[in-house]
Amino acid sequence: MIISVNWLKKFTDVELSIDKLTTLVGARLVEIENVVDLSEKYKDVLVVRVIECASLEGTDHLNLTKIDDGGVRSDVDRDENGLVQVICGAPNVKAGMLAAWLPPASTVPESFGDDEPFILSAKKLRGVISNGMLASAKELDLFDDHTGILEIDRDVAVGTAFADVYDLNDYLLDIENKSLTHRPDTFGVIGFAREVAAIQGKTFVTPEWLAQLDPTYDNVDGAKEAPCVVIDDPSLSARYQAVVLSEADANRQSPLEVQTYLSRVGVRPINAVVDVTNYLMMLTGQPLHAFDYDKLVALAGGKADIHVRAGRDGEKLELLDGRTVELSSDDIVIAAGDIAVGLAGAMGGLNTVIDDSTKNIIIESATFNLYKLRATQMRHGIFSEAITRFTKGQPSELAAPVLAEAVRLMGEWAGTKQVSEIAEARGEEYANKPITLTANRVNGVLGTSLSLTEIDTILRSVEFASVEVDDVTLAVAAPYWRADIHIVEDVIEEVGRLRGFDAIMPTLPLRDFSAIRPAPFDDLRENIRHLLVRSGANEVLTYSFVHGDVITKVGQKVDDSYRIINSISPDLQYYRQSLTPSLLGLIHPNIKQGFDNFAIFEINKVHPKSAGLTDEGVPVERDVIALTLADNKQQSGAAFYHAKAVLEYLASNLGFTLSFEAITSDTNQPQTAPFEVRRSAWVMDAQGNNLGIVGEYKKSVGRGFKLPGFVAGFEIDAGSLFAAVCELKPSYVPLSRYPSTERDICFQVDSQITYRQIIVAVEHALINASPGVEVSPVDLYQPEDAATKNITIRLKLTAHDHTLTGDEANGVVKVVTDSVMADTGATVI
Amino acid sequence: MQSIDDISQALLAKVNTSDAPRDVLKAPEFKELYNQITKLDPSERGGYGKQVNNLKLNLVQAIELREAELENAAVEPIDVTAPWDVNSHAPGLLPTQYGTQHPLTKELRVVIDIFTRMGFAAIESRQIDDDFHMFGALNFPENHPARDGYDTFRTEENFIPPAHTSTMQHRILKDGKAKLESGGQIAAISYGRVFRNEDVDATHEHTFYQCEGVFVSETATLGDMLGTLRAFFEVYYGQELKIKTQPAYFPFVEPGLEFAIEKPATLGGKPGEWLEMLGCGMIHPNVLRAADIDPEKYQGFAWGGGVERLVMLKYGIEDLRHFEAGKLAFLRKFKS
Repeated sequence: MIISVNWLKKFTDVELSIDKLTTLVGARLVEIENVVDLSEKYKDVLVVRVIECASLEGTDHLNLTKIDDGGVRSDVDRDENGLVQVICGAPNVKAGMLAAWLPPASTVPESFGDDEPFILSAKKLRGVISNGMLASAKELDLFDDHTGILEIDRDVAVGTAFADVYDLNDYLLDIENKSLTHRPDTFGVIGFAREVAAIQGKTFVTPEWLAQLDPTYDNVDGAKEAPCVVIDDPSLSARYQAVVLSEADANRQSPLEVQTYLSRVGVRPINAVVDVTNYLMMLTGQPLHAFDYDKLVALAGGKADIHVRAGRDGEKLELLDGRTVELSSDDIVIAAGDIAVGLAGAMGGLNTVIDDSTKNIIIESATFNLYKLRATQMRHGIFSEAITRFTKGQPSELAAPVLAEAVRLMGEWAGTKQVSEIAEARGEEYANKPITLTANRVNGVLGTSLSLTEIDTILRSVEFASVEVDDVTLAVAAPYWRADIHIVEDVIEEVGRLRGFDAIMPTLPLRDFSAIRPAPFDDLRENIRHLLVRSGANEVLTYSFVHGDVITKVGQKVDDSYRIINSISPDLQYYRQSLTPSLLGLIHPNIKQGFDNFAIFEINKVHPKSAGLTDEGVPVERDVIALTLADNKQQSGAAFYHAKAVLEYLASNLGFTLSFEAITSDTNQPQTAPFEVRRSAWVMDAQGNNLGIVGEYKKSVGRGFKLPGFVAGFEIDAGSLFAAVCELKPSYVPLSRYPSTERDICFQVDSQITYRQIIVAVEHALINASPGVEVSPVDLYQPEDAATKNITIRLKLTAHDHTLTGDEANGVVKVVTDSVMADTGATVI
Repeated sequence: MQSIDDISQALLAKVNTSDAPRDVLKAPEFKELYNQITKLDPSERGGYGKQVNNLKLNLVQAIELREAELENAAVEPIDVTAPWDVNSHAPGLLPTQYGTQHPLTKELRVVIDIFTRMGFAAIESRQIDDDFHMFGALNFPENHPARDGYDTFRTEENFIPPAHTSTMQHRILKDGKAKLESGGQIAAISYGRVFRNEDVDATHEHTFYQCEGVFVSETATLGDMLGTLRAFFEVYYGQELKIKTQPAYFPFVEPGLEFAIEKPATLGGKPGEWLEMLGCGMIHPNVLRAADIDPEKYQGFAWGGGVERLVMLKYGIEDLRHFEAGKLAFLRKFKS
C-alpha cells in the first residue's frame, strides 16, 4: 500500500519533517518500508501556455509551437517576444492551451530513477531547434494516455511549477499490506490520517460526509424503481446498498488532480465513473462496484432484481478480466435474478460490464463475509485493491456514507443523475460492544502507572466513546471503523501504542530462584559436534527437503517421503528420509572446488513416512547423526575402516565401546539404502542395540553422485545413541602398582575367518583368567591371492597383587592360543 | 536372412554371458538390421523399424541388468569386524585443524546458553507439524488473512513445515500449566528450523532458524518483556544497549511489537543506527485459553526472531545462501 503524505494533509495537519513523521508512524502505527520523494521527479516541469502552433513544414504530424513560460527558464533561446520554440507531435496541441513543459536539461519523469534516465536538450528536429518537449501524462509518469499531451485543467499562471499545481511535491510512504492486516480503517487515507493526527496529539475531524451514517439524498428524479436487493443468506453479507444513476458517460474524465492522486498510489485512472469508485475506496477503504443497469435488468428478466447468494457447484462466471471461473458454494455471488453477474468483493462479471453503450448504472456499496472472500481470493487467485480491503473486514456502517458521496461525486465529475431511491438489505451485522477496563488492568499488562483519566484521554483521541462506570472502571466503545477491537487486550494495546511503547520502562520479571539444567540430549548432541569437529570433520546444514531423484538414486522409495504440494522447485519436493543422501550431494562439488580429503557431518532430523505418527498425530521425527568422508586419492586400505575409526573415536570419547556386525540379510530401511551391505556393518552398543550403519556406498550411488573411489560414512540414530549413553556406568578400574607384561601372538587363519572370531575365542579363554588382560590388534597380513591370512594380536597382562612371572604370562598365552586354534582352526606362527 | 526374433535371441544370450555387455550394441548383425531398413519397400519400413527399435530397448535393458550383475559380483566383501584392512595399518583421523562447527549451530548454542542461564528451558522445534500447532492454537482462525503472511508449504497429508518456531508455544504452555498452577512460572525457549515458500536470494531463504521465547506468570508485563529482551541482548553483545519498538500485528500476541536494538559498537554501530531483531508481544488470551490456562489469572509474553541475522552481523557474512550450501570454502573459515 502506498500512502501519499499530501493526501494525508488534506485531512490532518502534518507539521513534522518527513524523517520525524516516518519515525513516529514507525513507532506508533506501522513500519514504513520505503519513502519516495516525488518532488525531485517534477522539479523542472513548468506550466506553459502554447501561444503559436503551426504545422512544421515538410512533416505530416509535427507542429512548431511557441510557448510562454513566463520567462522562468534563463537557459533557453527565446524569440523577440520572449517565447520558446518547441516541436510537438501530439494531435491535441493547440494555441491557447496550458501544457506541461519539460525544458532542456530536465529529466523526463517517466525515466526518473532508471539506469539511464532520458535527459532532454535543445536539439534540431527536421532542421528546426526544439527546446525540450511538451509532455504527455505518460511522459510525466502519471498514467498511460496516448491521446496527446497533458492539458492543464486549472487556470494557473504560466511559469508555475507543475508540481505546485497538483501537489506533486509529495512523499510516498510504502507500507506492507500484511503489517496492517488487522486495521481495515488504515486501508483508507482518512483512516490513516486519523492515526497520524492521534500520534501527533492532534484532534481529528472526520469529514462531514463520512460522519453522516444515515445520509439523505436530494435531487432524486425517481425515473427508475430502486433495485430489489435480497441477501439470501444473512451470513454472507452484513449490508448491501444499491442505487441507479443515469446519463453515465464513459468518456468523461475526472479532474486531473484526482487522476494524479490515484496514479501516485498505483491506481490507473480510467474515466470519471470508475475513478470515483477507486477514489472513494482509496479514501475510506470501502470498495464500490458499478454494474450496467440495462444489462443487469435484461438478465434478471426485466427488473433490477439483485441477490446476494452462495455460488453453486458447477456454476460458471466470466469475469471482467476475461477469465471464466468455476464457482463453488464457498464463493459469494451477486446475481441478477438467478444469473451470476459478479463474484462478490472480488470482481464483476463481463455480462454487466460498463462500456461505451452504457447509459444507466447501478452502484453497489456493500460488505461481505471476509473469511469467505479470502477463500475466494485464494481459490481464484484474485488480488485486486478491492478484495485486499474487503478481506480486512470493512465495517458495514461505511457503506451508506460512501455510497452517498459516490452519488454526489459522480454527478459532479461524470454528470450522472440519481434516478432511484437507495435500495438496502441487511444481513448479520457486527457492532462494537462496550469493554470495561480498570487502570490496574492496563498497568498490569503494560507495566505502566497511568491514571484512569490519562487512559481515557488517549482513547478519546482516536474517537473511542467512554463512560466512567465508577472511580476505577471505565467502559469504552470503539468507533465503528475499528472492527479490530474486541477484547480488553485490544484496548490496552491502543493505550500502549498511542502513548508509545518506548515510553514504557523496561523491567525484569519477578522470578523464582530455580536453576535450569540443559537437556541431556542437547548436551550429548553438542558433545558429539565437538568430538566430530576434533576428528577433523566439518559440520554442514542441508535442506530438509530433497529432489525426488535424490531419493531414487540412493534406492529409497519416493512413497516413503512426505511430498510438498506447493514447492517452489523440484529440488524441494520431498521430506528426506535420511541425511546421507544430502551429504553425498556435497562430495563432488567440494572436490571440484579443490578439496581432496575431507569429512562432513550433519546432526539433524529425518522424516520417513514409515516412522509413523506421534500421539499428537504428527509425523515421528528421528534425530540422526551422519558423516561422510572422502578422498580424491586412493588411501591405504578400504574407506570403510576410516569411517569406522571416526565412529570408534567418537564412541570412546563418549565413554563406551561399539561392536560391528556384518550385515547378513538385505535391509529395507531408508537410512541403510545408500550403503553396500557387503562393505558395511551394523553399529551395535554393548547391550546389543542397533545404533545405525557404517560403511561404503553402493557402486550405483557412487556413479549417481559422482563420488571418488575412496568414500565411506555412517548414519547413526541419535535417540538410540542417547539411550546407550544413559546406560553407561563409570568404568574406572584402580591402577595397578605392578608392572605389566606384553605378549604378541600371530595366528595364521583361513582368509574367511574374521578378526572378531579370533577375539571371541580369546575372550572365551580369558573368562577365568586371574590377571587383567587387554587385547589389541598389531598386524593384519594377507599375501596376494593367498587363502590364508596372518592376524597378530597383543596381550597386555597386569596383575593387581603381584608382579607376573614369565611362567604365568606364558600360561595365559597358552590358554589363549589353544582356544583360538580350537575355535578357528588357526595355527600359531 | 535370419528373422528379427532369432537375432534378438542370439544378441540377448550374448549380453547375458558377456563381461562387456555394452559391446553387443556394436555387433555387426545388430548394425545390419539398421542397414536393411533402406532396402525395404517404404510400406514395410514402419513396422520393421518398430521391431528393430523394440529389440534395441530390450537389449539396453538387458545390458543394464547384466552390468549391475557384474558390478555386484565385483564387490569384494570385507571383514567389518577387523580394526583395519589387511596389509594396511590403523587408519588415522583427519588433522584436527580441518574440523569446524557450523557457525549457525555455534551461535545458536551461545543464544541457548544465555537463556538457560536466565532460567529458560530450551526445546528444539519440530520440522513437520500440523495446522493446529502452526495456526489454530495461535489464534489464527480458518481463512484468516494473517495466514497469508507466512507463505507456508504443505504436504499432501496437509502437514506443514513450520513457518515459525511458535508451533512449539502451545506445547510449552500445556506442559507448563501444572507448574504454573502450583505457584511456578513458565519460562522456555524453542529453537530450530523454519520454512517459508520463498524464492532464494542473498537475503531470502526458504529454510532458516528461529529462536522463540515464552514467559508466563501472574504478573508478567510488557515492561518485563522489554527488560528481558534487553537483558539478553546486553549479555549477548557484552554492552549496554538502547532499545526501541514499533507496533506490529501477529495474531498470537496482543499488543504486538517489533523490537530493535541500537547497533552495538562491537558491530561498528553508530548512535541512531537500529537493528530490527524480533517480533514480540503479550500472549493473546485465546492462546492461553487454547492451552487451558486461565487468562484472567495468568499473563505472559512471547517473542521470536531469526538466528541467521545474528551470525551474519557477527561475522559480516554477505549471503544467506552460504548457510545451507555445504561449501567447505565457507565452512572452514569458522575455526572453533
